[in-house]
Amino acid sequence: MNAFLHHFAYDFKTGVRDRSRLLMFYLFPLVFFFLLGGLMSAINPTFLAGMVPAMSLFAFMCAALLNLPSVLVTAREAGVFRSYRINGVPAASIVSIPVLGTLVHMAIVSAIIAVAGARVYGAASPTALPGFLSGALLSYAAYAGLGVLIGVVASNGTAAILIAQVIYIPSIILGGLMVPVSMLPGALQKIALLLPATHAMRVMTALGGVGSAAAAPPVPWGSAAVLGAGTVLSLGLAALLFQWDSRASQPGGRKMALAILAAAPYVAAALLG
Amino acid sequence: MEESVISVRGFRKRYGAAVAVKDLSFDVKRGEIFALLGPNGSGKTSTLESLEGLRHPDGGQLSVAGIDPARQPRRLARLIGVQLQTSALPPAMTVDEAMRFFAAYHGVAEQPALVERLGLAEKRSAQYARLSVGQQRRLALAIAVCHQPRVLFLDEPTAGLDVQSRVDLHGMVRELRDRGTTVILATHDMAEAEKLADRAGILLNGELAAIGSPRQLTASGARRTRISVSTENGRLLEPGTRVGGAPLARSEEGYAVYYSDDPGRTVTSILAWLDQAGDALVDLRVERPTLEERFLEITTGGRA
Repeated sequence: MNAFLHHFAYDFKTGVRDRSRLLMFYLFPLVFFFLLGGLMSAINPTFLAGMVPAMSLFAFMCAALLNLPSVLVTAREAGVFRSYRINGVPAASIVSIPVLGTLVHMAIVSAIIAVAGARVYGAASPTALPGFLSGALLSYAAYAGLGVLIGVVASNGTAAILIAQVIYIPSIILGGLMVPVSMLPGALQKIALLLPATHAMRVMTALGGVGSAAAAPPVPWGSAAVLGAGTVLSLGLAALLFQWDSRASQPGGRKMALAILAAAPYVAAALLG
Repeated sequence: MEESVISVRGFRKRYGAAVAVKDLSFDVKRGEIFALLGPNGSGKTSTLESLEGLRHPDGGQLSVAGIDPARQPRRLARLIGVQLQTSALPPAMTVDEAMRFFAAYHGVAEQPALVERLGLAEKRSAQYARLSVGQQRRLALAIAVCHQPRVLFLDEPTAGLDVQSRVDLHGMVRELRDRGTTVILATHDMAEAEKLADRAGILLNGELAAIGSPRQLTASGARRTRISVSTENGRLLEPGTRVGGAPLARSEEGYAVYYSDDPGRTVTSILAWLDQAGDALVDLRVERPTLEERFLEITTGGRA
């Protein structure tokens, strides 16, 4: 088994072994799914139409946006990256392996949500599985890119959490997970276009043929392009700004200013949409 | 001429306006244990970390096994082993996983015997966060040597280790040296440096203040050999006593203490004097200046 596979296998196992990752990958999203499923299916049956993509996206955000930055910042601050560097572990592995390991966990969580959502609550299942998987992959990649970028630029764990919350909380409220974006007031609909969640919900719902989109799914290529561009930009900036050592970090203001460029596709979508 | 494995020429390192190392030059030969000594802030860690490829020099040339550390860090990583003073592994990584993980990145097979040799056999399944500081340092050493590096960097290798572990580690470092590994060691433990190192360099304010074998370094100091003598009747302690031209320096817990540049002659004179004075020797100790004394002499300008 080569080094990359050893590293990947270790990272995947840690997703279950490490309590904080276990919480963010499985416990928190699944408990939220079961609680919200019970509540929303009783008070708002239309929620069930988009429940599977919404709850999958919620899990992606917990794992990629809340957990990934902490993993990277904590490891850098503790000196783990220094140990990696002197032993020849490439930066690309340090950044990509947690993203890939988390992806496998998210595939498992999404499968649980899709099966349990349909069986327990009667939620609409994706009618086009390849399309749904493609949309989910793109959505996860967009959030994972942002998570990695936050992990690279945040000066410490507290800063990482605060920056992540700036995206996470509006995504939950305005991103179409609880209430369709079309039901929001006009100004909030504009603001919602700044959020990856809005585009992710459009793409996952349409490509997966979920709920009302099952009949004649209009393909939201614009949102797919925004997510794709956002992923490429955030991962590219993360590679550019990556630091092995907290002590050798660049000035925080410059890093942050560059990192904000990752929002460009979402800003463009809000201005043009 | 012996092969130089580490070459430092006019090395400079600064952090903002602060100059950490200025125009440092020295060589370390193949199969040599070289100790880099100095007080905190003397530039030891900057020098080591630049040689390890963790920092970029601001001037001068560095070469480790023929490689420029700043330009080819990946290639360098295959040739060197490093036990850093401040580093860590992921908290949930077990000892076995760590050995597999880093062996894989170094492109070598696992080394179960190494884990056993370093007293970690019973901790194979223990996670890094649950190891004691000493066990963590031993694991770091096992990782550092698992690929049989040509150059081994040890930064405070015995910090946090118990006496037996220190002895074991010293034995292991000597074995590596005997197999041709070049070892560069940074330590605050002068006794360790004196015991282990073939040569040592003392850094002071980013400059090389002294370099040589521990014996050469101690011999070059102003300190003389200390001779302490205890006798049955304490005749040497009587005021005004002079033996072979050496005055009594002081009395200390019943011992008469002398300092001499020619300890052989002074000891012979003391024994002859005691014989003549009808006193008998109880204990005699001859202590040459230690590396620690020489180090303090250099770093405090003789104030110690």
